[in-house]
Amino acid sequence: MFYPLPCFDSFLGGTLKIRGSLNRMKKKEEIAAYIFLSPYLISTLVFTLGMILFALYISLHSWNLFQRPEFVGLKNYLKAFRSEDFKRGFLNIFWYTIIVVSFQTFIAVFMAVLLFKPIPGKQLLRTLFYAPSVTSTVVISMIFWWLYLKTGFINLAIEKIAGLFGGSWQNVEWLNDPTGLFQLIAGIFGGKISYDQWYFNGPSVTWMAIMAQAIYTTSPTFMIMFLAGLVGIPASLYESASIDGASPWTQFWKITFPMLRPVTMMVVVLGTMGAIQMFDFVKILTAGGPLGTTLVPVYQIYSETLGINGPIRAGYGAAMAFILAVVIFVLTYIQRKSIEEKTEQY
Amino acid sequence: MEPAVLINNKRRSYGRYIKFVLRYLFILIIAAFLFTPFILAFLGTVKTDAEIIAWPPKILPEHWLWTNWLDTWNTDLGRGGTFPRWLFNTAFLSVVTASLQVLFCSMGGYAFARLKFRGKNIIFTFLLSSMMLPGIVTLVPKYVLMAKIHLINTYWALILPGSVEAFGIFLLTQYFKSIPSELEDACKIDGAGYFEIFKNVIIPLSTPALLTLFILKFQAMWNNFLDALLYLSRVSMWTLNIALMTFQQQYKAQWNLTLVGAMFNAFPVLILFFMFSRYYMEGVSFSGLKG
Repeated sequence: MFYPLPCFDSFLGGTLKIRGSLNRMKKKEEIAAYIFLSPYLISTLVFTLGMILFALYISLHSWNLFQRPEFVGLKNYLKAFRSEDFKRGFLNIFWYTIIVVSFQTFIAVFMAVLLFKPIPGKQLLRTLFYAPSVTSTVVISMIFWWLYLKTGFINLAIEKIAGLFGGSWQNVEWLNDPTGLFQLIAGIFGGKISYDQWYFNGPSVTWMAIMAQAIYTTSPTFMIMFLAGLVGIPASLYESASIDGASPWTQFWKITFPMLRPVTMMVVVLGTMGAIQMFDFVKILTAGGPLGTTLVPVYQIYSETLGINGPIRAGYGAAMAFILAVVIFVLTYIQRKSIEEKTEQY
Repeated sequence: MEPAVLINNKRRSYGRYIKFVLRYLFILIIAAFLFTPFILAFLGTVKTDAEIIAWPPKILPEHWLWTNWLDTWNTDLGRGGTFPRWLFNTAFLSVVTASLQVLFCSMGGYAFARLKFRGKNIIFTFLLSSMMLPGIVTLVPKYVLMAKIHLINTYWALILPGSVEAFGIFLLTQYFKSIPSELEDACKIDGAGYFEIFKNVIIPLSTPALLTLFILKFQAMWNNFLDALLYLSRVSMWTLNIALMTFQQQYKAQWNLTLVGAMFNAFPVLILFFMFSRYYMEGVSFSGLKG
């Protein structure tokens, strides 16, 4: 915004009259700005700032929403730290985040590089690639649930592929198999890990099936972000590189990858935030089962707050949410810092 | 030109051609792979109850049983829980929240892009950092608040918190800043107020950005699961997502009917996406570049 009068103001040495009108205009602009901003300000005061304070209040109380809240101090937090289910949830989400974020980031870069070069029907192909990300998690869950059935297409496909190599395949109930990855590996070598030692089991078959489904839906979103990042790389860099005789592989690692660092940071941070707060697939497909191998923190927060498996414990839910938020904050902060530091080297 | 170079060039372009075809084939295979679940599910909607869970599953149905689509459409869970009602709920919520987002976020964006006021920098910094706030923090208190002010099972529970968001304001602020301000200066000399400039200059010049935000927010509400699950428990208030989740329990082994529900849910957003894919992708790529 430009003031129409500042030149007059200085030219005339600022007579009182013009100063006054200038102030009035400034005031008018300020009032207008706050009117334009009022929906956001009201909404953020109530639903962001207000809710954070309210969450803090709730987390320090024991409250079933019907009786008066009773102050309990940090008991809810201590209870969360002692809860075995909460620890299991954290271990599960740890596996989920590591595997999903790394796979989706690599697949997204790969697809973006593949679709960036000029090819006929580029726009249509990009649209086709992106389609899995457009539909809701419930739709994806229903389709995959059916594909994952014991009599489903996933088992058929694996059987056919195993058949090509002369092997056989025992149909798996993908969404109801608590066997852990480390249990499977130990099984191959004749060892055995009991289900009681859940912390040594590794992600279960069901959990990995859900991860595959999640990677399928999220990769295309991040592909779009990488495509936007690729646009920002000057073509002259590639031209001079190919004159110098650099292979496409070298060009990718020496030009594309370093230039994509800012986008990669966003993709990893957004991906981590999304993965740690994962809820939909668990609620729709497994409710935390089988044997608690797909239990996640947000599902626990949800069921405590609504009293799904017992009394409503809003305070406990809020405390767990705070712990989870702190973990997310610290993790994404570390990710930002480490990626930013590496960027400075270039 | 020397003949040797010519041959070399020819060989090179030949190799390039093969490379191109291979890459194209590869891309097509990936596209087919990504689309296979949808195609299999679509073919599943017209299979019979026995066929849909038979082993080994066949790709094509023996008879095309289109009546499955009618059966799902006629689902009636009682107390107003019918399919058209769920479709209406979902469409209504999506259109209303997306429209409000466009209105309120463009207002906020105009203030940040063009107006000078005290506290601007602080508010904008707060807005940027609030985008990185994990949504889980406000989940419990929002639910408690909605329960205490009796907004559970009303549209308000989803519309009120969803009508304006930091992301939308940030997107539109950046877009408005890219519009040259000469036109506005001319209007100002003609004595136009801020509201007139906003309405007659900024808004008409920003259709692509407004459309982008509308489509993103329409899709976000159409696909919203957690909020709908928390706030809309009455069967007549359900959205398609909540209904679809219960279809599976309702129909048990009748996966054909559940898949029809999934198609009904997916088609509107897919159609919208194919129509406006460019705006859509611009919006998504914007959220990747904000860092």
